[in-house]
Amino acid sequence: MGLGSFFGGNKSTTTDDNVTTATISNDPASQRIKAQIQQELAVANATELVNNVSKNCFEKCLMAPYSQSNDPCIDQCLAKYMRSWNVISKTYVARIQNASTAGEI
Amino acid sequence: MSSISQADLDSMNNSSKKEIANFLDAENSKQRVQMQIHDFTNSCFKNCVSSITSPDLSAQEEQCLNSCVNRFLDANIRIVQNLQNVQ
Repeated sequence: MGLGSFFGGNKSTTTDDNVTTATISNDPASQRIKAQIQQELAVANATELVNNVSKNCFEKCLMAPYSQSNDPCIDQCLAKYMRSWNVISKTYVARIQNASTAGEI
Repeated sequence: MSSISQADLDSMNNSSKKEIANFLDAENSKQRVQMQIHDFTNSCFKNCVSSITSPDLSAQEEQCLNSCVNRFLDANIRIVQNLQNVQ
């Protein structure tokens, strides 16, 4: 899952959910409400991600004495952070699924 | 993205309202998981990634991230169990 998923790239998965959870109405007002909620969630997630990456990569890359150019470090740090996000997301979701099949939650 | 007007809300029938309520429940639980992942990534990245020399995660770093999530959840479960026993 890349950055695109934070900006509405996850629309396809949410429509899948709608099929299973509710009957789809053609009411344009409720479609618009849903779209706006998803849009705002996507923005909130993107903001959270940018804030967290900025804090973490600032700490890791901008250490004194600022010897070499830090741009590659920031780029690599961002890539690493996104990969960490994917690893953690996979592990956490697997753990939730295990717990729910075991009837713990 | 147009915003929602009062007229939109007034025009909704009961099945649309129910649909929105279900939708909110689903989005809420998805968002809770999403925020938890943000949180884990934030703290586990701090713990597991020591130096930035390549854009790829090393095998140890990946292992560390996995353990970080699993150990946090283990600790969380144990703490909840202990607190339940105290009561």
